[in-house]
Amino acid sequence: MKHPYQNIVSTSTHLFVSVQNHLQAFDVEGNLVGSWKDTIGHEDLLKKQQLEKIEKLNQEPEIKRAENNKKVKIPKIPTPGPGAPTIYNYIRDLELTHDNKYLIGITDSDKSIIIFEINLNEDNCLKLIKRQTFPKRPCSISIADDNSTVIIGDKFGDVYKIPIIGENVPEKDLKPILGHVSLLTDVLITEHNGKQYILSSDRDEHIKVSNYPITYVVKHWLFGHDEFISSMVQFDFDRELLVTGGGDDYIYLWNWYGNKLLSKYPLRDLIEPLLDESHLPPERFLHEDSPKEISVVKMITMDKFVVVLFQKVNGLLVLEIKDETLHLVELFPLDYPLIDISAGGDKIFGLSEDKIITQFTFNGKLTIDDKEFKGMIENNPCEVQSKEEFYPLYTMNTLRKRSEH
Amino acid sequence: MDKSLQKTEQEEIESKRKVYREAKEQTRKNARRLRFDESNPQPKKDSVDSPRKRFYRQRAHSNPFSDHRLDYPKSPESMDWSKYYPQYHDKESNNMLQDVEIADIGCGYGGLLINLSKEFPKTLCLGMEIRVQVTQYVEDRIIALREQNKSKDINYQNIAVIRGNAMKFLPNFFKKSQLSKMFFCFPDPHFKQRKHKARIITNTLLSEYAYALKVGGIIYTITDVEDLHNWMVEHLTEHPLFERLDKQWEDQDKCVEIMYNSTEEGQKVERNKGDKFIACFRRLPDPEI
Ligand SMILES: C[S@@+](CC[C@H](N)C(=O)[O-])C[C@H]1O[C@@H](n2cnc3c(N)ncnc32)[C@H](O)[C@@H]1O
Repeated sequence: MKHPYQNIVSTSTHLFVSVQNHLQAFDVEGNLVGSWKDTIGHEDLLKKQQLEKIEKLNQEPEIKRAENNKKVKIPKIPTPGPGAPTIYNYIRDLELTHDNKYLIGITDSDKSIIIFEINLNEDNCLKLIKRQTFPKRPCSISIADDNSTVIIGDKFGDVYKIPIIGENVPEKDLKPILGHVSLLTDVLITEHNGKQYILSSDRDEHIKVSNYPITYVVKHWLFGHDEFISSMVQFDFDRELLVTGGGDDYIYLWNWYGNKLLSKYPLRDLIEPLLDESHLPPERFLHEDSPKEISVVKMITMDKFVVVLFQKVNGLLVLEIKDETLHLVELFPLDYPLIDISAGGDKIFGLSEDKIITQFTFNGKLTIDDKEFKGMIENNPCEVQSKEEFYPLYTMNTLRKRSEH
Repeated sequence: MDKSLQKTEQEEIESKRKVYREAKEQTRKNARRLRFDESNPQPKKDSVDSPRKRFYRQRAHSNPFSDHRLDYPKSPESMDWSKYYPQYHDKESNNMLQDVEIADIGCGYGGLLINLSKEFPKTLCLGMEIRVQVTQYVEDRIIALREQNKSKDINYQNIAVIRGNAMKFLPNFFKKSQLSKMFFCFPDPHFKQRKHKARIITNTLLSEYAYALKVGGIIYTITDVEDLHNWMVEHLTEHPLFERLDKQWEDQDKCVEIMYNSTEEGQKVERNKGDKFIACFRRLPDPEI
């Protein structure tokens, strides 16, 4: 069986997907037009670290070494113990520049940002032009309006910017432009009256608004979430508005510039019937009255609509903004949960274990298109024996903070 | 010594500690209630004695990245300060008469707060401390001081302590430009390179401290670890919203003097004849954006 695709971004003509450590590009007919495989594994990262240590030891002046009266010990490549978490060689969180000229992704193997030039006239449309490593694993990306700069948030709360074109920056010279003391969950670069701002969200319910490029001047925080935030999106028609969601029972609508919570759309009654045992907290945190947990995985906006993907829920929620409030359009039922979604033109593409990919048309309401992407199924390079070998596909809920009693 | 004997002795100490701390907890609860209902019976005399430090031992280090189980307000507006400074709370309007203006970050056993209370008897000062038992010690210390100095001019009603992770949740407590002084006294040094991000002064955190500080407000730092001193000076100097104050300024500033002598860690350094390095920085106005 094939390993499901994990991440997708799309334009109206092309789809870019990742599966394990592979990246592929397809046209909307399902023809393979580009591919790339990450040949760096996590072992390489460990090897690199070992080499750096040896290098450092060799550089230590002879005298000091003699003083310490120690033989130079060659550090061993650390081998993870039996209890250590599995490291996956993922490619995650794909983004396209606004002009669709560059594709940007994150690799877990060596904690880097990978940038591809997209040239549809080439046999393989994906050409790697940059691989920038970071001290901590990047976990979210946003692209500046002028398509020249990528903003990157890492797992330890730091936010960096790097140019799309040009030389790599040595890791030690990378300086964060702002930071949270928390796991960063999303970053968004936006604009108001000709001035730019960065919004950054974290696991500790914070959304911080900083000026950009003068990021050391914080504008304010948007307070109101009770749980982690996983997704922040905006509408093209009014960039003062911000929609946020995560581990709460609500989708929040803000005027982010004016620091005002406009409204909260309640999810519990609507989504509850679609939750099952898998939405309960892990065993050791479970009580008799533990509620099933709702987690927003991703949101996308189209015109005045927001499409919401929840973790392991057989349905897509569509909301519409009217008078500074979110209103229900539909909870579109599905036979299986989606892993990731992306919009291109009036289409929405959804990845899943069951159907690999599903195409929807959206014209104020969703319909499923009768379309099979045979090429995608045939060209998926990742063959596995069983579901046990799947990389974790539904992980959003691990952001939830829990405490033992 | 016999192992089993050692063990029983250990247990005895533990249980003594437990009984003591339970009694103190009751006092704290009463004190909290008292703040709302003054008709409450007075606590027994012996329970408001100054707390004894040895009953509040705790591991020296706390990981600022971990979740803990912290209580923190959802936003500065939703913070209920009346529990902490009951005499500065107007019952009728249910408003605070003043905001907190001085913060002691990682206040430890609270020596600085107590001296600040005397120097600024009309200003609200808050200690923030991540270790539970240390926080409880300071809370008990303040309860005792308030009780013992009820009818005096300096009555310690203007100081309080909160358990919290200042590196994560400072913005939940303080509004923009609320503070006039922030103290960082003998912060944990986190020696290893790998752990530098755990230090309480970093470029990125300084932007958050600058948000909470008024223009003209002061960050005070003191440490006995020269490497940490250099680190703090380097980062504060590099930060565009701070400017170092010179030796002359330090010499005439009352708080520098207080900070030099009054914290428990500072006194320990004194006993061990260690060095103390001071650096103070003023919050500059934001640039034109
Ligand atoms: C070495 S002690 C100094 C205590 C006190 N300032 C003094 O001078 O005596 C540092 C204190 O900072 C506290 N601390 C460390 N990180 C903290 C954080 N993120 N938030 C609040 N307190 C913290 C520690 O628990 C410890 O009590």
